[in-house]
Amino acid sequence: MSTTVPLLAARDLVKAHGPTEALRGASLELRAGEILAVTGASGSGKSTLLHCLAGIVRPDAGSVSYAGEQLHTLSEKRLSELRRTDFGVVFQFGQLIPELTALDNVALPLMLAGAARKDAQVRGQEWLERFGVLGQEALRPGEMSGGQAQRTALARALVTDPKVVFADEPTGALDSLASEQVMTALTHTAGEQGTAVLLITHDAQVAAYADRELRLNDGVVAPQEVAA
Amino acid sequence: MTTYTERVSTQGRLGTDLRLAWLLTRGSDRREGWRALLTAVGAALATGLGLVVAALLPLTGQHHVPVGYGMLDQPGTRIGVIAALLMLLIPVLGFLGQCARIGAVHRERRLAALRLAGASPGQVRRIAALESGLACLAGSAVATVVSVPTLLRMWHRPDPLVWAVMAVVAVLVPVLGVVVSVLALRRLVASPLGRLRRERPAEGPGRLFRVATALLGLLVVYVVTTPFHDVPFEFALTPVTVFCLCLLVGAVAVWLTGASARQLGEGLSARAKSPALLIAAERLRDDPWAAARTHAAVLLVTVAGSGFLGIRQVLLSALRSREHHYADEIAEIEGGLNLTGLAILAALALVLTALAVGTAESVATRRRGLAAQSAAGVPYSVLARATLLETALPLAPALAVAGLGGLTISVWYGSIASEHGTPDAPYMALLAPVLAYAACLLAAATSLPLLRRSLRPAELRYA
Amino acid sequence: MIAMSTRHILLGLLASGPSHGYDLKRRHDERFPQARPLAYGQVYTTLQRLVRDGLAEIDATESDGGPERTTYRATADGERELTEWAREIAPPAPFVTNEIFAKVVVAILSGGDPDAYLRAQRAAHMGRMRELTQVKTAKGADLATVLSADYALNHLDADLRWMTTTAARLTTLTAEVDTA
Repeated sequence: MSTTVPLLAARDLVKAHGPTEALRGASLELRAGEILAVTGASGSGKSTLLHCLAGIVRPDAGSVSYAGEQLHTLSEKRLSELRRTDFGVVFQFGQLIPELTALDNVALPLMLAGAARKDAQVRGQEWLERFGVLGQEALRPGEMSGGQAQRTALARALVTDPKVVFADEPTGALDSLASEQVMTALTHTAGEQGTAVLLITHDAQVAAYADRELRLNDGVVAPQEVAA
Repeated sequence: MTTYTERVSTQGRLGTDLRLAWLLTRGSDRREGWRALLTAVGAALATGLGLVVAALLPLTGQHHVPVGYGMLDQPGTRIGVIAALLMLLIPVLGFLGQCARIGAVHRERRLAALRLAGASPGQVRRIAALESGLACLAGSAVATVVSVPTLLRMWHRPDPLVWAVMAVVAVLVPVLGVVVSVLALRRLVASPLGRLRRERPAEGPGRLFRVATALLGLLVVYVVTTPFHDVPFEFALTPVTVFCLCLLVGAVAVWLTGASARQLGEGLSARAKSPALLIAAERLRDDPWAAARTHAAVLLVTVAGSGFLGIRQVLLSALRSREHHYADEIAEIEGGLNLTGLAILAALALVLTALAVGTAESVATRRRGLAAQSAAGVPYSVLARATLLETALPLAPALAVAGLGGLTISVWYGSIASEHGTPDAPYMALLAPVLAYAACLLAAATSLPLLRRSLRPAELRYA
Repeated sequence: MIAMSTRHILLGLLASGPSHGYDLKRRHDERFPQARPLAYGQVYTTLQRLVRDGLAEIDATESDGGPERTTYRATADGERELTEWAREIAPPAPFVTNEIFAKVVVAILSGGDPDAYLRAQRAAHMGRMRELTQVKTAKGADLATVLSADYALNHLDADLRWMTTTAARLTTLTAEVDTA
């Protein structure tokens, strides 16, 4: 089902934060529609890898190619546009605007893309319903439970029908039941839409929702063993 | 057996609190230092103004004063100078209030942590009061140390009353600083969790604000009606009246900002078509009184500035219409008025600095969320427009009221002055709000570089 | 352990009414989807032991023309035994026979590559966890399936966490094993 040409590929990424090297030559490939989990201990460079792949951070060395484009050759404006149209982002928390209602938060990416507010809200409502956030559209993120807020964040990430969703510890602040609901919603919807997901987590039970797992060890991808 | 705590608590409590206050101020980041410095500057200005008024008040009849373009020689013009100085006190007080807000979130978190660590409510209140009190004391001390020799050089044997009033002013300013900070923290110290959770937006102005506004209103009504009371010191009260009027109009403008912000936010957020306007309007709706708090000082200065421009125009045109009477004085008075204008400009600069710091503060507090928005593809331009709109939207109606208030004060002053001549219509009063509006937008725009820096992905790493 | 709990699980299934061997096996496999399916022979021997111990008795024997089918029911003793067993807490795994740990130590002793072994074991664990996750998130999965998959997932996760910490401390362990 998956094509042989990867949708997103990273080659020998190097990135330092001051004196500490977060990435020391990490490479990976993400195929269209695939759910890939990147796991590793805290400080292994997982988040930095996601930031490089999503074009949020420019690596010191190495390259990221997305659908035939080299991310490091793109302008900041084009990268921002790419993140708005082709990518969706979900973090542990903080990606929703605290003052906007759940519905407006989900409608925002569509409005940024130029949709009229009314149309954006209609579509946003559909997506909230898809993620099981019912009757909460007028609430602000602070008034929702953690699980509902994360499902709203997923709706916001997927509302533009992106090719890739980057999820950095999306269940990091949730209990296991809420975490299960969020992950089920993410994997089902991504499967239906054919969206690829790059999932960063330190939790093996969350990583088990993915089709494949890569382990990051001290800034490099650990050698993979094929399961017997 | 006594516990360790019991043994420690018998040793000077105030000393411990003072040491803690000092350690906390020193150990925290630069913003805290900024607050202390700006508070001290504000206190020094307030004390300085108070001291000059204290020196002028006991003067009666004609004197030769070597400063102030001869404006201080005659009782009539002296009263005008006192009025101008009192009016300058308004922005300085507003500035002091604004200083208390710098790093507020950070400080409240710190004090709540102190409560969690076991400090009693009283102790936290003392520590907080000591922090601002010390800054005010430093400012007031500097102002007093500079003022006393200056006064002695000009006036060899000052009235004992002058010393008394000056001493009161020098002590009163730090005491006021302590009181204000205790009042500002009264909600926090009740709960060790403080506002660590979601900051609950204030419901509206406190009882203190409403009582003060009501008292001001009553005072103004009383003073305005003095001609009908048959009280002899009718004209002597004019500067005080102008001062009170300015405070009153300022208070009304502040109240109006808060009261209109919710409706403004609701109306705009329902109709908003652009993302920037939507974000700004929703932030306004979420915490309508935040704008009122941030802009209070600006509004007060605008009222003062508007009143000043109007009065200046009225006064000069009244004098010019009878130039043969006042030919010598016009230049002097104009010089004095220009001096006051400069002072008000300085006040405006002060307040705009405070506004810029406040906007920057708001950006800095939200930096993680802003970085997340940027990572999700929200363009910088949208976030920048939202930040500017957040200042621009609530200020528009409030500044209009402030300008109208200033105009009213000028017209009223003009009606008094018309006994001495035929003054122009004080349309200059309307210039102040327009200028203030433009200046505010510029001040808010100074936080944009900080906004750009806050969008760096490195900010995503901090929770 | 297994034999003892099979005894009690059969008694538990009999609590809802008399039942015959095949029916008991079917209901067991339905109720405990992630457990190893019961062999019919095991059901039959366990039932006979229950009868021998006076915990169950033969309810009826019928043959509608086909093979003979014996229905069993729990006795009063059996019901008492079941109540006591259900109330008793399970011993919190006092003696863990850890095959993975044994293999790591053996790999060190025999000069093998314990790190590669742990990685391969991890991959296998993750593979099984993915299967279980698919089972439980499949549309229409019932709660019993979800809960038993969760049980297995949590245990595999515990193994994984142990393997991660062990992998990080292999150098120290190797030194310790080699000097001993």
